[in-house]
Amino acid sequence: MIRPAALLSLLAPLVLVAVVTAAAPRLVNDYAVRVLIVMCINAVLVASMGVANGFTGVFSLGHVGFVAVGAYASGILSLPLAAKHAYLSDLPHWLGSFSLPFLPATIVAGLVCTALAFVVGAPLMRLSGYFVSVATLGFLIIVNVILINAVDYTRGARTFTSVPRETTLPWAVGWLAVTLLVLSRIVYSPYGRRYRAVREDTIAAQAIGISVLPTRLSAFMVGAFFAGVGGSLYGHYLGSFSPASFYMAYTFSLISMLVIGGMQSLTGAVAGVIVVTLASEVLRNLERGIDFGAFSVPPLYGASQIVLGIIFILVMIFRPSGIMGDRELTPGLLYSRKRRPPEEYL
Amino acid sequence: MKRTGLFGCGALLAASFGLALTAGSGVAEADSIKIGAPFNVTGSLSSLDAPALNGAKLKAKEINAAGGINGKTIDLVVYDTKTDPTVIASVASQLLNSDKVPVAMGFTDSDSALALGPIFQQAGVPFVTPGATSPKLPEQVGTDMFLACFGDNVQAAAGAEFVLNKLNGKNVYLLRDNSTEYTTLLAKYFDEAFTKGGGAIVGRDDYKSGDKSFTAQITKLKASAQKPDVLYIAAMPDDIGLVVKQMRQAGVTQPIVGGDGYDTPLLLSVGGKAANDVYYSTHAFMAPTGSTDAIAKFYTDYKAAYGTEPENAFAALGYDTVGLIADAIKRAGSEDPAKIRDALAATKGYPGITGSITYPGDSRVPQKTVTMIGVKGDHLTLGAEVTPSWLPAP
Repeated sequence: MIRPAALLSLLAPLVLVAVVTAAAPRLVNDYAVRVLIVMCINAVLVASMGVANGFTGVFSLGHVGFVAVGAYASGILSLPLAAKHAYLSDLPHWLGSFSLPFLPATIVAGLVCTALAFVVGAPLMRLSGYFVSVATLGFLIIVNVILINAVDYTRGARTFTSVPRETTLPWAVGWLAVTLLVLSRIVYSPYGRRYRAVREDTIAAQAIGISVLPTRLSAFMVGAFFAGVGGSLYGHYLGSFSPASFYMAYTFSLISMLVIGGMQSLTGAVAGVIVVTLASEVLRNLERGIDFGAFSVPPLYGASQIVLGIIFILVMIFRPSGIMGDRELTPGLLYSRKRRPPEEYL
Repeated sequence: MKRTGLFGCGALLAASFGLALTAGSGVAEADSIKIGAPFNVTGSLSSLDAPALNGAKLKAKEINAAGGINGKTIDLVVYDTKTDPTVIASVASQLLNSDKVPVAMGFTDSDSALALGPIFQQAGVPFVTPGATSPKLPEQVGTDMFLACFGDNVQAAAGAEFVLNKLNGKNVYLLRDNSTEYTTLLAKYFDEAFTKGGGAIVGRDDYKSGDKSFTAQITKLKASAQKPDVLYIAAMPDDIGLVVKQMRQAGVTQPIVGGDGYDTPLLLSVGGKAANDVYYSTHAFMAPTGSTDAIAKFYTDYKAAYGTEPENAFAALGYDTVGLIADAIKRAGSEDPAKIRDALAATKGYPGITGSITYPGDSRVPQKTVTMIGVKGDHLTLGAEVTPSWLPAP
């Protein structure tokens, strides 16, 4: 049976896509559009990171490894033939002789990451707690080293450039809508309840017949698919990137967004991205110095990072489970005056 | 209550974001010409970008004090891009759409220039980089990208000739940072030029920018069968002090040679006494005496303006780049980006303090001489001025 709320939750993203993409370029300038695109890409990445890290409780530090694989895989596939000959002349013939459009390249990148997640996750998802964090960090490092050394495929440490810059706002918003739709369908399905059961009490979950490994592995693979998609969006947004773009700095930036927003909520992931991105953009513009006419503040470059750090600390002190905690902002809230207990609408 | 707080926060953020958007597009003064200046003032490239920006500001101030160009003052529109490609892309569109700059200058590395370049190329606005030395850059980005410095193939060839002729080194051990475009290309060009000049590379090894221990590389170096006369290390500014220090502590006494990544105060401040017998190729010798008069004047003015000595040659490159752009705007007699581009491309013999700048033919990489600097004790001395006789293809 389809409740109106469920229908709305299906339609809302589509309406949002239409409205945002039609209105944004007319209302605001290219800079704001760029900030929106970056927010959408980061929201795809953080929401997909939340599936394993928040819902399943497997705190992976390797998510950016999949983002990197996604960016490079889609980049290699969609690089125009002329650029392939110029920059990647040593590619195997079957890879070097064709060039895919943006959408198929993105989907293939997602699938490559899913397959990789299966291989990596099969042993790693047996681990819990700190061990899995350290092990997945190892995965990130391995990906980085491979990208730097697989010179024939990635140009090594040199900038991977000439990727068509095709990530426009409609693409970014569209993929965000797809990501949120698919992830919310999964994590709030009966199967998705297993994620949280495994997170809350592994032994109790096993006792009622949930096998831990397939549950965690499926969450890890779903997250990896959208990490690959997000990586492709990011690569096609920047046009040129290097292995250094996908390493510790990006990992911690995504994790801070996830933790600030609330790890156990998809709304939280989006909220975290919006808050952190807007805060860093605003602070970045303010630190250039303000002129009020009567008095002026000189530029203080680097102040934005410090203020951002302080904001993170404050959020963690006053809202340790993030802005949203484990709550979701669902269309259902708009109907019911009284908020239902979480169990019911989750 | 909690919820109100949350929404309050959100509203405040949104409001200040709007403020930032409008602040960027503030009142454009009709009597000034805007020059965009994105630089990585913070992040891993700050030790090169910050001096370059200071140099640029100094030249802008001097031009304005002398009456500006075509009756207008110049206004540097500075942004900190934080060594982050995402920020660089956002700043590029801020410069083009909010500030509407007709020309821009910035960066000392190819990665940043490649992140920004295509966006400027698409808008048809010329961009001059003071210090990104990849000679491939103009060809990768397009007709609106210019270098104000020599290419890495030139400085690597100069380094190779310096090792062969001045240090009498025939066998070189090549160590490179394999995590950046600059260091990998520099090592490749050095390899080509040095082998072409009759030298031999007796061993090679890699490390990664940000490594804190070089024990593995040093052990391999000491175990190599053929002892090298000289080490050529292609390194980023953040690492070079530490590399040199650990090499010397481990008893490696051979001269160490490298590129303009060494041209940072970190070489002496981190390397200390260990930096003795280190040589590097760079754009100009920054010293109050022993260099050209123009450099000496720049040295004094820079010290007066910022209270510190020019940290490295990138300060002078930033200074020259603003001069180069101002010269082009003057000759174009217009603030039309296309006309400024054509005037830039037609630059012949602009007298910069880092050498005269000419763009030969269709090239957007200038011909310049290379300065070799040596460390003796704990201070820098001018090693040689080299115009390489043979250049590796970019």
